[in-house]
Amino acid sequence: MWLYALRRLVLTLPILFGVTVICFALVQIAPGDPIQNLLSPTASQEDADRLRAAYGLDQPLPIQYFIWIAKVLRGDLGMSIANNAPVATEVFRAFGNTITIALISVALAFVLSMILGVIAAYRSGSIVDKLITAVAVFGISVPTFWLGVVLVIVFAVNMFWLPATGMGASGSETFNYFNWEDFKFAIMPIIALALPPLGIMTRTTRASLAEILNQDFVQTLRAKGLSETAVMFHAVRNIMPQAVAMLGLQLGYLIGGSVLVETVFTWPGTGFLLNKAILTRDIPLLQGTILVLATVFVLINLVVDLAQSVIDPRIKRA
Amino acid sequence: MKSSRMPGVFKAAAFAALASAGFAGSAFAESVLRVAMTAADIPDFTGAPDQGYEGYRFAGYTLYDGLALWDLSSSDKAADIMPGLATSWEIDPANNKRWIYHLREGVKYHDGCDWNADSAIWNFARVMDPTAPQFNPRHVGGMGTYTAQIESIDKVDDYTIAINTKAPSSLFPYEMAMYYMISDCAVTAAGNDYVKYGAHPSGTGPYMFDSVTPHERLELVKNPNYWNPDRIPKHDRLVLLPMPEASTRAAALLSGQVDFVEAPSPDTIPRLKSAGMQIITVPYPHNWDYMFRMDVPPFNDLRVRQAANYAVNRQDMVDMLQGVATAADQTLIPSQKWYGNPVKYEYDPEKAKALLTEAGCIPCVIKVGISTSGSGQMQPLPMNELVKEQLDEAGFQVELIPMDWNALIGVFLAGADGTEYNAINFSMAPIDAVQGVLKKWMSGNASPNCCNWGVYNNPEVDALGEQAIAEFDPVKRDALLTKMNETVVADASELYIVHDLNPRALSPKLSGFVQAQSWFQDLTPIVVAP
Amino acid sequence: MSDIPANLIPIPATQAAPSQRVRSYWGSVWNRLRYDYVTLFCLALIILIVLSAVFAPWLAPMDPDKSSMANRLRPIFHPKYFLGTDEQGRDLLSRMLYGGRVSLLMGIMPVVLATTIGGLFGVVAGYYGGKVNMVIMRTMDVFFAFPSVLLAVAISGSLGGGITNQMLTLTVVLIPPLCRVAETATSQVRTMDFVDAARASGASTASIISTHVLINILSPVLVYASTLVSVSIILASGLSFLGLGVSPPTADWGLMLSTLRQSIYVEPLVTAVPGVAILITSIAFNLVSDGLRQAMDVKA
Repeated sequence: MWLYALRRLVLTLPILFGVTVICFALVQIAPGDPIQNLLSPTASQEDADRLRAAYGLDQPLPIQYFIWIAKVLRGDLGMSIANNAPVATEVFRAFGNTITIALISVALAFVLSMILGVIAAYRSGSIVDKLITAVAVFGISVPTFWLGVVLVIVFAVNMFWLPATGMGASGSETFNYFNWEDFKFAIMPIIALALPPLGIMTRTTRASLAEILNQDFVQTLRAKGLSETAVMFHAVRNIMPQAVAMLGLQLGYLIGGSVLVETVFTWPGTGFLLNKAILTRDIPLLQGTILVLATVFVLINLVVDLAQSVIDPRIKRA
Repeated sequence: MKSSRMPGVFKAAAFAALASAGFAGSAFAESVLRVAMTAADIPDFTGAPDQGYEGYRFAGYTLYDGLALWDLSSSDKAADIMPGLATSWEIDPANNKRWIYHLREGVKYHDGCDWNADSAIWNFARVMDPTAPQFNPRHVGGMGTYTAQIESIDKVDDYTIAINTKAPSSLFPYEMAMYYMISDCAVTAAGNDYVKYGAHPSGTGPYMFDSVTPHERLELVKNPNYWNPDRIPKHDRLVLLPMPEASTRAAALLSGQVDFVEAPSPDTIPRLKSAGMQIITVPYPHNWDYMFRMDVPPFNDLRVRQAANYAVNRQDMVDMLQGVATAADQTLIPSQKWYGNPVKYEYDPEKAKALLTEAGCIPCVIKVGISTSGSGQMQPLPMNELVKEQLDEAGFQVELIPMDWNALIGVFLAGADGTEYNAINFSMAPIDAVQGVLKKWMSGNASPNCCNWGVYNNPEVDALGEQAIAEFDPVKRDALLTKMNETVVADASELYIVHDLNPRALSPKLSGFVQAQSWFQDLTPIVVAP
Repeated sequence: MSDIPANLIPIPATQAAPSQRVRSYWGSVWNRLRYDYVTLFCLALIILIVLSAVFAPWLAPMDPDKSSMANRLRPIFHPKYFLGTDEQGRDLLSRMLYGGRVSLLMGIMPVVLATTIGGLFGVVAGYYGGKVNMVIMRTMDVFFAFPSVLLAVAISGSLGGGITNQMLTLTVVLIPPLCRVAETATSQVRTMDFVDAARASGASTASIISTHVLINILSPVLVYASTLVSVSIILASGLSFLGLGVSPPTADWGLMLSTLRQSIYVEPLVTAVPGVAILITSIAFNLVSDGLRQAMDVKA
């Protein structure tokens, strides 16, 4: 077990190195100039050059990379050009906002998907099963940003039930998930985020359960006179390792892929930050955000792998 | 369960008692003005705003003052400058390259430090002297242009400084209305680290910094000791929120998250009105135009430039924008001093076609760089579509090349001769004669010097400009500038389209706001009803 | 959006059937599909959507780029404009038909390209194994370190907008998962007896790959690729929505949704129209790929 964990860890290192190279390379091929936004509308080229030198943007690329990576290893992701604040602070503040709704969404999706999956597998072939399958297909197929827009149309524009955008009336720093006035800002983002993982997990749960219920040992259990509820309990326990792995993976996707939903709802998380960095061509911020998100994704995958090997020792993949 | 809750109730009661004691004598709680800006992020608030002039509007003139300020108290005339941290200024009668500034006495920065000649000189070194400990390259990017003409600064006494310019510069005081003074002791206390200073920025302005949540909100509070008692804010707190999307701003206003919205999209105006919001518009120097590249065909030919100006149906554009713009017949607006009595280009597609035929450019293929959004660019996509449609009908063949706002700024800074475009749709702020006339049209201001993008070169205009810069009699100078502007308009040196009326939507709770004919606005008179 | 599984797709042994049984295999696939009405219906729907995009110039009632300031933001089911008009008074139905061209192209082309390129890398990695495999697959692993949306936004954000850049972005995003599927399938086929037999009889590598390997990995790769079409459509429209896709005035469902969003307080229903098209197309492709998977008996 420990050997496996160690091996997985060692295998992760070159991947992380690759991630830094990609982060760096991506941003370098980008057109546009981060300096321009800082200049006054009447600044001259000379002013621009001076500012460029001050940010080290006039150095050759490999040198810029090594300077950057050396800093990254010390936990310094550089300074955001747009607002002159440390990128690390920016990203981690935003990360807190993203991970909270991502966790709530994925937990919601997990619980619902287990319930729906069990019902669908139990009533396999019935109308209920078909309805649940339809919900799952909808969840998998729906563009989240469109769903966000539709939620806004229904609940904010037409009904005035929920606020359309933002994070709390007084900003994210005083946001309290246990206060309804604040929490209502999070409802629509959570729904929009939860639907795709709900679809994916429901479908997987239903399929795995259906397969297990068809296996011989289940027939044996039934033959032994076990109640259908107890049989289902057995089946659910059997798919748990797989379901937990799915849960972790979906969490990773939500954290990395929240850019669209956060843009629709102006939710000040990492996705929103990413969009902002792209719009303002804030190179250090863009690099930092992508790097942190990709690193988190790699680590979540690592944890999922390890957790899975603990739950189910048969899994010892390379 | 029950017992554990009790202390909470007591605590709340105690807090309520404390709170009401704190507001003793005042019937209302703190009055808060919440503003939705169009900026994508909170502008820099350390004394060199970014995000275009919206940054100056909300994070500049709120916290800081310049030696001069813009007089924003009237909505009937184009805003001009007035005394700020200097009570008066004059050109040295013996030396037309030496401006004497008399500084206002008794002014203190928010941190309690004194404003005086030493602080002023320290502030100029912040941008002009790379060896000074307080030198800030970021501020050079934003503010360097305003000090570009300064040769040196002398301290005459504690409240008088003399600014020596490199050449006679009669319009220099306008530059000083854009240059902010920040507290030298606050920067020194932060060890000349502007990031640390950003945690406690300090100016002399009518608002004081309170807190910031990056990318989300900037909170300022009123400065009860502001040196101009007329401009002490009539509300206690000003909250500034970046909301780049028009639909987001509209939603925020309708749901009561904000009270004051910049540039609501024209389409939402009927809905906002029906919800009881006040919609206000005012003409101000903000022209939405195409800059021509005039050193190569086809726009080096006056007839082609005229044809473009005759081809555009400005009324269609105004209608599409639901009346939040007015037709433009030149860069300036009629209430500006240098407007003059120039040629006007009316919509006449037949004439446009005839001119193009005469110039031998049919179809006249042009590449136009446009942005997909951006400060002052209004609704760039539909508006450019309409312009393209109209130009195409008159015999042009327009290719629109959309890019993001920063990329377009790059194209602008590079100058036309460094790019592949025949024109760009680039909004400028001709707020004064320097920006609106001189820097735009004198040949010496072609790239790399701002802002003659299209390499316009007319010796007559250059001569008028030189004379104006060296003319210290305001009346004569304005006459020269007016002549210069008229010449430029006769040359059809831009495709004039519309002037923005910068609509703003205000909650019915607000009163007292006077919208000035300016990019900058004074929020201090606004009263927020509970 | 997040439908690209990072874990391997297990390939059941039945898939590695010897090539001579191929015809009857495809025959049985068709037999199963024939009675799967949901899949057939969705397939018909897709064909309809594709045809309406292809024949947009003949079907569209109006010029999709012709704006009319007098007819802006007309409601849905307007007598003259069936789906209303957009913020520039352009007929939305016509724009939807034309927009389908870009959106479908963005769904299908990157998948085709990625299947070819990723498939090639996967076959090479799976067939040769060893160092070649390591280099290719470890490189792919690095791309797997990015959630698909993040990778797409990162690449597209760096390259900038435009159809070519968007297609390039989506292709790069889709290559790693396809490469992995092809690699897994190939390395399983490689160890099969009939490949050994072919090798022993002196067949060249190229002929082994083309006659034995390709034909046997085809169905898992195709089934997997078909699931990616809907992912690709959604990713593409997401990029357009963020302003990272095609440039205006080109009609594209994602971009239309993004610009119409500004009019959400004027004509909310019209705003929702482009998204419905994305949703329907995406559902149709998803269900068809489900049906294919079942018919081809490939496990998810």
